[in-house]
Amino acid sequence: MNGPDRHPSRLAIARRRRAYTRLWLAPQGDGASAVPSANRFHYGWRGLALALLIVFLAYQVVVPFLMIIWTSLKTARPGESEFLDLTFTLANYVRAFESASFWRTTVNTLSFALASTTFAFLMGAFIAWVVERTNTPLARLIGFMLIGRIIIPGILIAISWILIASPNIGLLNQVVLELTGVRNVVNIYSFWGMVWVQALEMVPLIYLLLSAAFQAMDPRLEEASTMTGAGNWRTLRRISLPLALPAVGAALLLLFVTAIETFEVPLLMGTRAGVRVYTTEIFYDTSRTPIDWGLAATYSMALLVVAIVLLFFYFRLIRHGERYQTITGKDYRPRRIDLGGWRYLTCVLSLLLVFLITGVPFLMMLYASLLPFYQAPSVAAVESMSLANYWSLFQSSKTIAPMINSAILGPTVATAVILIVALIAYFVHKTRIRGRKILDFLAFAPIAIPSVVLGATFFWFYLLVPLPIIGTLVIIGLAYLTKYMPVALRFVSASMMQIHNELDEAAQVAGVSWGRNFVKVTLPLLRPGLLAAWFWVMVHAYRELTIALMLARSQNRTAAVVILDLWEEGSFLLLSAFGVLMFIVLMALSIVAYLVGRRFGVQEQY
Amino acid sequence: MKRLGFLVLAAIAAWSLPPGAAAQTTPDQIYAELAKLPAAERQQRLEDGARREGKLVLIHTMRGNLSVDHVALFKKRYPFLGVSLEGDIGSQDAAERLYAEETAGRHLTDVINIALPDVTTLAGKTMVARYPTPAVAALLPPYRGFIDAENRWTPWYWSEHGISYNARLVPKDKAPTQWTDLCNPLFKGSVSFDPAEDRYLSGLYAIMGEEATEKLLKCIGDNNPIIQRGHTQRIELMLAGDHMVQGDNYLYHGISVQRKNPSAPYAIAYAVPVMGFAGIAVINRNTTRPYAAALWTDWTLTQESQAYVGSLLRGPVALKHPYLPDSAKIVTYNDAPPDVAKRLLGYWNRYVAKR
Repeated sequence: MNGPDRHPSRLAIARRRRAYTRLWLAPQGDGASAVPSANRFHYGWRGLALALLIVFLAYQVVVPFLMIIWTSLKTARPGESEFLDLTFTLANYVRAFESASFWRTTVNTLSFALASTTFAFLMGAFIAWVVERTNTPLARLIGFMLIGRIIIPGILIAISWILIASPNIGLLNQVVLELTGVRNVVNIYSFWGMVWVQALEMVPLIYLLLSAAFQAMDPRLEEASTMTGAGNWRTLRRISLPLALPAVGAALLLLFVTAIETFEVPLLMGTRAGVRVYTTEIFYDTSRTPIDWGLAATYSMALLVVAIVLLFFYFRLIRHGERYQTITGKDYRPRRIDLGGWRYLTCVLSLLLVFLITGVPFLMMLYASLLPFYQAPSVAAVESMSLANYWSLFQSSKTIAPMINSAILGPTVATAVILIVALIAYFVHKTRIRGRKILDFLAFAPIAIPSVVLGATFFWFYLLVPLPIIGTLVIIGLAYLTKYMPVALRFVSASMMQIHNELDEAAQVAGVSWGRNFVKVTLPLLRPGLLAAWFWVMVHAYRELTIALMLARSQNRTAAVVILDLWEEGSFLLLSAFGVLMFIVLMALSIVAYLVGRRFGVQEQY
Repeated sequence: MKRLGFLVLAAIAAWSLPPGAAAQTTPDQIYAELAKLPAAERQQRLEDGARREGKLVLIHTMRGNLSVDHVALFKKRYPFLGVSLEGDIGSQDAAERLYAEETAGRHLTDVINIALPDVTTLAGKTMVARYPTPAVAALLPPYRGFIDAENRWTPWYWSEHGISYNARLVPKDKAPTQWTDLCNPLFKGSVSFDPAEDRYLSGLYAIMGEEATEKLLKCIGDNNPIIQRGHTQRIELMLAGDHMVQGDNYLYHGISVQRKNPSAPYAIAYAVPVMGFAGIAVINRNTTRPYAAALWTDWTLTQESQAYVGSLLRGPVALKHPYLPDSAKIVTYNDAPPDVAKRLLGYWNRYVAKR
């Protein structure tokens, strides 16, 4: 309890938060602080590694992009002889643009993304402000509980809220009916129900981004403002907000991109609510025989265009944001606003929000997992509780094998991704090789490909290419490599830019080979960023649904796919038990990652 | 060295031969030959061939352990055959799987078990083998209409779609008695459907024709239907009180729930004609294991397989139905003509899905 490992100093916490700021505000290509050391390109292992990277990125990133564009310009299905002809048509675009449903879907997609982004931002920003900039009690606990929510899969959050707020049978509606006689006060199967659940799903992300930004503000500017007689409100309006603006803008755009490509909430709630968005439209277009690949690709293109436009603004913002950064070599403690008696109110409000975001879905799952049949809470319900659902799960290979598959996929993909992005970050930030920015661009570009599109593209690509990986974990793993490279790269790039080039140069002077230097010097120095990236990718690859759903067969089903199966089979109670088990497995993996981090003294990174 | 050179030359020669030079017997040819043999010899030939092939890749659309247990029975009968089973997949998805694989030139799957109305596209693209089998002689008369004159599929069970309701929410005297009752304002916003399915639309067409189907879909759309994916899930939701009526669903699931829990408020609108469509085995025209595929197909019509089907409350075609009363009006059908099917889907999209 006494060592620095157990009790990280406020300084260390501030350093961690600023690391997040660097992560999301890290510019593409060369950072301002990165001075490439190697002016000449040395062939040999390094050249080989670069060549392999280029081939890998072309294979993993360029091919999916080309597949989508190509398919949208074809009326033939992939595999048909006309599909490979060099004749193209805009027929799919004409068909899409002429139909009212395309435009309705576009409006739905954008309004859903806008509304859920706004709600998520308001909640996340409030909690980030309370935790980072005020003297609210229990602030650290609030932050910890909110981040803990990341390991609960999105599909479980959506299902939990359906069980809570479904009309007629939802727990909340039943309780309200019992108490007041009023029927169906809430309906989760509605546009606003979707927005609510999606917003809750995104709050931890906005919290991470904004708490980092709040920590990165230099308090001396605020103190100067206060000293000149400006009050708290005026200081907030004239100093704090403008300082946070680039980070806020970037966070909003990232959230918006996340919301337009989300799938679980629109599938589970939107179908019944009659609110179709791009991702569900693509899913339904690819769920019929014969699949309308041309139209699905056209919707994918629409999604891609929106995502790329947003990313364009995102990059402009973060470039602009560099001018606003106030991070210096000096460490400082951010000024906390004394809220007086109001701090108890902010504490209660924050705890309530965190309870809604993390506590309610988990407790709902736990409650339902112990019941023999679904019923409202009562003495009889408590008396009927047992572990029978868990026992059923353990007796079925249908549920255990996918859990093992996910446990294999998560750590394996995470390890592969960090090795690849470490190499990419090295070439981008530590060399002056011509075209290195292309590496960075290619590795970041997949952030614009929605998961549902990526899954469909990989499925078709490996049908056309005679590699025997369909139905194996390899095909899902390859798709995950593409999916998770962008964010992992941002983690590792931030760490890479912190490494002095002198180390690299010293190794060269000492005659150490490039490969040995990379493995023995660079990688160990990158440990904090690598472990943070590993943890992030591992958790997300474990819980991912959309890609796995598109590529699943009997032998490579993952935990999230089983959750959807159980949901569609109406096995709500088994599903809840499965969700609780999945949460426990992910917690165990996270604790292992945390302990490994502690072993290397880098737990502060996450 | 000489031997190695010879082998290389032989390999090059084999590679450079035109495709027709190495005469390949297609599954259709094998099946045509088999059809000429006496029953015992035919069976022996099938088993010998399957033993040589050693494996079968099968897509089975009965969910979860149901398909696993069915295949286990088959493996018990033919232990020499390894079965790679793809389960937990819907009928339309299974048809699309074969369609995609064959379009891409990948001959991965040997047999798929799907609903008959979902075979249209595959049959239209001549992706299915023609397999004449004496096993269909076991079909009872009411189900002989499922047999294909061109032997493109083998019917081995049948499924029903009909109207069911929550008996606690719907008074007996208000229960639906005809398909148009789905438009009853009493059920407004409380009738559920899966997203568009060819087999359901084809069934309505078989019962009432195109014009009446369009009219029905229009008034269903006006009655604010619930569209939710997952047949089993919808039954569970209805029984929990989420909504009143199932506008299209398998009837057996509610019976299955009721057998476990007799107080489950499940009722079938028996007065409404039930649509019956076949579950069929379809052999891939390019299967690389034609004997194993044929062996499975024949086995599905054996007594042990049919008894298993009945025990699951599905409709066996060679045995009496496990729960439907004799008075139930059943309309059996295959599939609607492709142009009609396309129009029916259009009506659904326009009126019900409002796309």
